[in-house]
Amino acid sequence: MIEVKNLCKEYHVVKKEEGIKGALKGLVKRESHKIAAVSNINFNIKEGEIVGFIGPNGAGKSTTIKMMSGILTPTSGEVFIDGKDITKHRKEVVRNIGVVFGQRTQLNWDLRLGETFELLRHIYQVDKEQYLKTLDTMDEILGVKELLDKPVRQMSLGQRVKGDLVAAMIHSPKVLFLDEPTIGLDVSSKYALRKFIKEINERRGTTIILTTHDLGDIQELCDRIIIINNGSIMEDGNLSGIVDRIAPYKTLIIQYFDEKIPEVEGAELIETDGNVAKYRFMKSETTAAKLIEELSAKKPIQDIAVEETGIEEIIRIAYS
Amino acid sequence: MRVFKTISHYLRVTLACVKMAFLIIVEYPSSIIGWLISNPIQFIVGFATIQFVVEQFGEINGWNYGQLAVLYGLSVISHALSMIFFVQGWFMGMYVIEGEFDRYLTRPLSVLYQFFFTQINVFGITDLIPGICVFIYGCYKIHFTVNIMNVLCIIIMLAGATLIRGGVYILLGTSSFFTRSANDFGQYTQEIFDKTTMYPISMYPESLQFILTYIIPIGWVSFYPVSSMLSIGDSVSGFPQVAGITLIVGMVVMTIAGIFFKYGLRSYESAGN
Repeated sequence: MIEVKNLCKEYHVVKKEEGIKGALKGLVKRESHKIAAVSNINFNIKEGEIVGFIGPNGAGKSTTIKMMSGILTPTSGEVFIDGKDITKHRKEVVRNIGVVFGQRTQLNWDLRLGETFELLRHIYQVDKEQYLKTLDTMDEILGVKELLDKPVRQMSLGQRVKGDLVAAMIHSPKVLFLDEPTIGLDVSSKYALRKFIKEINERRGTTIILTTHDLGDIQELCDRIIIINNGSIMEDGNLSGIVDRIAPYKTLIIQYFDEKIPEVEGAELIETDGNVAKYRFMKSETTAAKLIEELSAKKPIQDIAVEETGIEEIIRIAYS
Repeated sequence: MRVFKTISHYLRVTLACVKMAFLIIVEYPSSIIGWLISNPIQFIVGFATIQFVVEQFGEINGWNYGQLAVLYGLSVISHALSMIFFVQGWFMGMYVIEGEFDRYLTRPLSVLYQFFFTQINVFGITDLIPGICVFIYGCYKIHFTVNIMNVLCIIIMLAGATLIRGGVYILLGTSSFFTRSANDFGQYTQEIFDKTTMYPISMYPESLQFILTYIIPIGWVSFYPVSSMLSIGDSVSGFPQVAGITLIVGMVVMTIAGIFFKYGLRSYESAGN
């Protein structure tokens, strides 16, 4: 469905020097240098996949997604959607894509939500019957009909994001791009949004590309994650595969009754804090149950917890 | 066939946009009252200044009071039309900085078309009223003969003039793609256009006239067509021809502006999150 080939994006940055003297010098002689925001990225995405892009701020994930959706012109390389180059055939290709960028809206602030939908219906040449059908489906998943007559300026962020999602689906795109869709949403809105993403993916086979900082999104939604840092792909695969490769261990946290902390074979004591101890063990070598059994034989245990290495940790490791 | 389909697509979207624009006005009815008062005053006062000057000196560079009224009126009318269709061009810098072109780029229509028409400024109509009043008043003063040919030529000339203005807004606005600053050219452009289209440019030095004719063809917005319409000075040819040339100049300026905009859009950087 999507083919990304040798994609690069460079920005020119003008070097600024200090003070008035520097500023005047800059007027005469501009020293600019190139910064590669994205360098030589390659991947393919199959129809019906949900792919999550993650990476720290400024890693290049937004730049990548913006090149994929036709907003930015690549410095070099190509993006094909459904076999067509988006840079060369923008108007044709964007008929197949929907875009929601979490921090901005395409809804008309001053009017009722339905008016924006009506305009989009004309822009994408969707006939009335098809439009009502899509709206019915969206209403089933997201409950959007009650919002149709509400002016957008009076909506909560959660309602507005719902509106934007439906707006992006009016022309039933094959690919949906979501740039940080859950940013700033409360728990129930987040839940609704994730349910929406899952359902349109299942019912309509929509391919979904999303960027996020919310690791819950990744865990719940993504079949595949692509980790980007410094403009390059660091990891590309399914979540458990990446976790097993980067962090093949778990952490066992035990609270004892006193501060005498025992050690155990097969696990490394990595941290102690008063009567609480953290042990790290390889998943392939031993199990938490076995360690607890051995430790409880040495000292009475008050409380236990087992920590899977969080994606947060995984990402931190992958980034570094 | 495909061309007609495309045209009807754009027309439908335009209609939907106009409908939305009216709905927004209805949503905020008080603002239209403000516009209805402030905009006409601006131009009536401007015209009163001309009247004062003419009364002091008899005429300006061979143009009498009625003729100046026609020039002024037509200039305000094409200004109003450019305000309706192209006013967004004044704020292009802001759109570039804020990343507002993202949404236009992800829709299957021309970016420039969406930029102007999805926010069509129906308030511009309030500028139209004083323009038409002064124009009709001028025609009455100089006993201008109204016939179908003349009306047609005036419409063609106004279309050309509006395109020239719009093209200049786009050319100036597009520079924001390269400078990445939210320059608001509105005030400058209006000043320049006011001074060069509401008075006969023949009163300026020849070098300036040359620039206003060939380099930045603002002379065609009102001075040349109206000179020929009223047979003032040594007009090159008849009104129909000059009106036609005005339209052609307008289309050329708009085409150049469109190409420049497309080139600028390649440097568009969206906005960081």
